[in-house]
Amino acid sequence: MRPLAVIGVLAVAVGLLAALDRGIASAISPTSAVVTLIGVLGVVQGVRYANARRDRRRLLTDPGEPERRAPAAVPGSDLDERIARVASPAPGGYRDRRDLRDRVREVAVDAVARDRNCSPEAAATAVDDGTWTDDPVAAAFFDTRSDYPLRVRLSAGVRGRSNYWYGLRAAIDEIERIQGGAA
Amino acid sequence: MSDPSGAAVASEPEDSDSAGGEARSARREEAADSTAGGEADAAAADSASAAESTNTPTDRERRREVATDRWLGIAGAALALVGLGVLVRQSPLVLAGAVGVGYAVYARAGDAPTPALAVIRSVSDEAPAPGDEVHVTVRAENVGETALPDLRLVDGVPPGLAVVDGPARVATALRPGAAVTFEYTVRAARGDHEWEPLTAITRDAAGARERSTTLDAPTAIACTPELAAGGNLPLRGLTTVHHGRVPTDVGGAGVEFHATREYRRGDPLKRIDWNRRARTGELSTVELREERAATVVLLVDARESAYAAADPDAETAVEASVAAAGQAFSALLDGGDRVGIAALSPLDCWLPPGSGTVHAARGRETLATDPALAPTPSGERFYRSLWLRRFRRRLPADAQVLFFTPLVDDTAATLARRIDAHGHLVTVLSPDPTTAETAGQRLTTFERRGRLRSLRSAGIRALEWGDDSFPVAVAAATRRWSR
Repeated sequence: MRPLAVIGVLAVAVGLLAALDRGIASAISPTSAVVTLIGVLGVVQGVRYANARRDRRRLLTDPGEPERRAPAAVPGSDLDERIARVASPAPGGYRDRRDLRDRVREVAVDAVARDRNCSPEAAATAVDDGTWTDDPVAAAFFDTRSDYPLRVRLSAGVRGRSNYWYGLRAAIDEIERIQGGAA
Repeated sequence: MSDPSGAAVASEPEDSDSAGGEARSARREEAADSTAGGEADAAAADSASAAESTNTPTDRERRREVATDRWLGIAGAALALVGLGVLVRQSPLVLAGAVGVGYAVYARAGDAPTPALAVIRSVSDEAPAPGDEVHVTVRAENVGETALPDLRLVDGVPPGLAVVDGPARVATALRPGAAVTFEYTVRAARGDHEWEPLTAITRDAAGARERSTTLDAPTAIACTPELAAGGNLPLRGLTTVHHGRVPTDVGGAGVEFHATREYRRGDPLKRIDWNRRARTGELSTVELREERAATVVLLVDARESAYAAADPDAETAVEASVAAAGQAFSALLDGGDRVGIAALSPLDCWLPPGSGTVHAARGRETLATDPALAPTPSGERFYRSLWLRRFRRRLPADAQVLFFTPLVDDTAATLARRIDAHGHLVTVLSPDPTTAETAGQRLTTFERRGRLRSLRSAGIRALEWGDDSFPVAVAAATRRWSR
């Protein structure tokens, strides 16, 4: 940028001198090419400056919506945000995923224990080894040894979601089915 | 202009008056002597606060001044136009570009004025009933020396109230001495509602700079619902020594059969089982179930997590809990029981158990306006063990607890078990705020159901109600419960 600045300063200085001394002005008598160059420069710079507006939003004070009553929290919406975070196939967020899986597991163990009328330990074993459900996706969610079915992995790849997300949804569907049956 | 709220939505009556100086003095006279009335505008004149109208500006707090970037790029556009004019040898284009330069200079000049406004807010009813419409009138007068070419006023409606008619804001221009009045209507909801400061946003004539200021005009309404009786509330057998209506497992005087025992000298004749005497020749005495009064503390969960609802615009579980607690309160008082109120909240709320009409009024007041049970969360931190220690210290030894909680987290369930473990019979009454649309919401629903189940298996009575009303749910549950 420095050479450009030097050229700019020089140009302004020459311009000022030309304005003061007509002799200099007549010496550099602008040809058509020079005028065109000046015009092009003007347009280019002008468009560049005007373009600065494109990405800038107007900074207006937002007074909010005092007319609306303070919104209530919907139970589970914070969980949905966490689920959305783990839905992306990007690596990381292991702790989030583990915490969430533990939470779902607790509900699943409870549901299985009630459905099969067995001890929580037996239900936990069934959940961990995937025998608690016929749905291979829901089973794979808790069972770290079995893989997700190929169709899920393909679908996850195409849609840009993680396998985990599919497993979580399948597990929740399965818990609902079991609870519905038990009720 | 890309101003979304349009030009002046409401303009003050004198705006059409061309004699600015006269209008100004007339307005000032009117303000100084409100009894003169005259051409004072109706909204300001009929409000009680009009008498307080002065020319002193309302306390204000300057918050920020920013460049709005409204004219950003105008210099570039002008330069491009000049360049184009040079390029195509068209002097009119160069001249048009020069006009753009003028705009660029206009945008640079000027500063967003600091408003000196005298704000008066008046409400049509300071103690409305829930659901009533309250009309709010806000009048702002420019008592400063500078004109406000672009003024937006946004009122600080309390977060617990919803505006049902008209926006609570106005956009206008005010010269010195001029005033603007705007009105809107809010629907009253339970609680003490205090207005937040009014926000004034001023801009310079070009709209290039903007200043945001808050103006303090304290206004409050208190909305206290009537207590409606919620039918017969099932209480548990732990009671006081006073006679009342809760059936106990204690034999003695009463109306319901409890047991028979051997006759002891001094037993009243009418309690002797004469049939048995005729059959076997033995004397025995019938014991009846004693009915005693109970001491009950209504505990309302008002932690931040309890401000939950199935829909962001719906009433929160705290509102449902408070309404149900109100019904329980009057039903229990009517039955002769001693009732107290407490809140599971970061703020302290405690009404010791009592009875009588004064106590009823106090209970109504507590449920309606105690800050701990406010319609919006207080934002303070809740310390569970501290709270429990204080609550236990206050709780009478023979008191049972009706615990109103949406059970959206483990804390409420744990507390219910701990209070129960300390020898106070607990009944959990739970409004259901869950919904089952997304995965997270479904998981929350399962977890809440699990909590209800585990409470029941721990021997704590638990009742939930969703769409059906609290008394209906109580009636349905009472049939199920054994004593």
